[in-house]
Amino acid sequence: MTRRAALSERRQRFERVVLPHLDAAYNLARWITRNDHDAQDVVQEAALRAFRFLEGLRGEAKPWLLAIVRNSCLSWLQVNRPADLAGFDDRVVETLASEEDGPETQAMRALDRRMLNEAIAALPAQFREVLVLRELEDMSYKEIARVADVPIGTVMSRLARARRLLGESVRAVSNAAGEGVKR
Amino acid sequence: MTHDEARKLLHAYVDGELDPARALELEAHLADSPLTRAACERLRDLSAALRADAEYYAAPAEFAARLAAAVPPEPEGKPRRFAPPRWLPSAAMFAGVALASWIAATLLVRPGEDERLATEVLASHVRATLSGHPFDVASSDQHTVKPWLSARLPFSPPVTDLSAQGFELAGGRVDYVGGQRVAVLAYKRRQHMIDVFVWPSAARPHEPKLARDGFNVERFAKDGMEFWLVSDLNRNELADLARLLADRSAL
Repeated sequence: MTRRAALSERRQRFERVVLPHLDAAYNLARWITRNDHDAQDVVQEAALRAFRFLEGLRGEAKPWLLAIVRNSCLSWLQVNRPADLAGFDDRVVETLASEEDGPETQAMRALDRRMLNEAIAALPAQFREVLVLRELEDMSYKEIARVADVPIGTVMSRLARARRLLGESVRAVSNAAGEGVKR
Repeated sequence: MTHDEARKLLHAYVDGELDPARALELEAHLADSPLTRAACERLRDLSAALRADAEYYAAPAEFAARLAAAVPPEPEGKPRRFAPPRWLPSAAMFAGVALASWIAATLLVRPGEDERLATEVLASHVRATLSGHPFDVASSDQHTVKPWLSARLPFSPPVTDLSAQGFELAGGRVDYVGGQRVAVLAYKRRQHMIDVFVWPSAARPHEPKLARDGFNVERFAKDGMEFWLVSDLNRNELADLARLLADRSAL
């Protein structure tokens, strides 16, 4: 096979397996970087990486691609906004007080959209990412474990933690807004 | 099961990740414990609120176009912005092994008719999603979509609005699959686009489910029509849609 034919085949494979998950890639990068411009930089770099290392793809394309996107986000933060990496650091995150057996969440129905999105954006990154992958991408624990490069048990505990933190911050915001919590 | 154990398992239960035996145990506990039941409800509410209201940032169309153009159409002569990572040699070796076994597997299983159709409907779905032009007639009204399709096809496909069941009809288009013109109905569920391909064919039994490249494919035959559903939606919900269509489609 000529080099050109091989490349065009690679390009076709890229279009078939990677591009369909572009929205998922962008959504994850946007939630991690919390900024459209940065998300575009990161996803572009991740897509080029995916193109180069297409042979490394085995199994499902989506978790594979999202793992690349996540790594690109981390490298990007390291260079541009190292302070934001704290959200991925277990030692830093451990100090966030949270009662183990508290209410998982507060009543969510009364919550407005903007408040919810701000509360998600304010979560430490390691909780934000599992929540986005689970609730917005509808991925299984196993797939999330592959993306975040942690054991499934860690996915479970981070997800539980993410929901508890979100519930707490929502309760704090609604209390501050003087509405109190219904139910 | 103690209260604490139940609380720990609740998330996995709500996420559908608990094995059946544990799920049964937990359900028995839920039946007895109003407190845990309330916690379970709150978790479901939270999940529903997130799915309904959390922002889903889809890639902007102009960014997607720019990206497609940025991917090299010709051999990578110059090194790009990043250096190859240190894990590359081992990854490459692993990839080599994986590729070799994949080739062996594909050579052993000769692609059949179904395989070819699956490739074609998947390609059509991906093309439509990528081009940002998922349908030619945009309407949630089955009485608009059906005549539009019937006018362009040698048959009249069943068109059902299922928004009450959470599958919103978004529009329709005509495509060419398996050597014939086919109807494509586009449904939406949350951020997911579902294409339902319909064409007349002699009903024949086949495996209802397929999964390819991160997409799920469902198919069935009814009243002389063949239905293929393609989406990145999860398998269970896609199967729900297939069942609804099979129940409701009337010619």
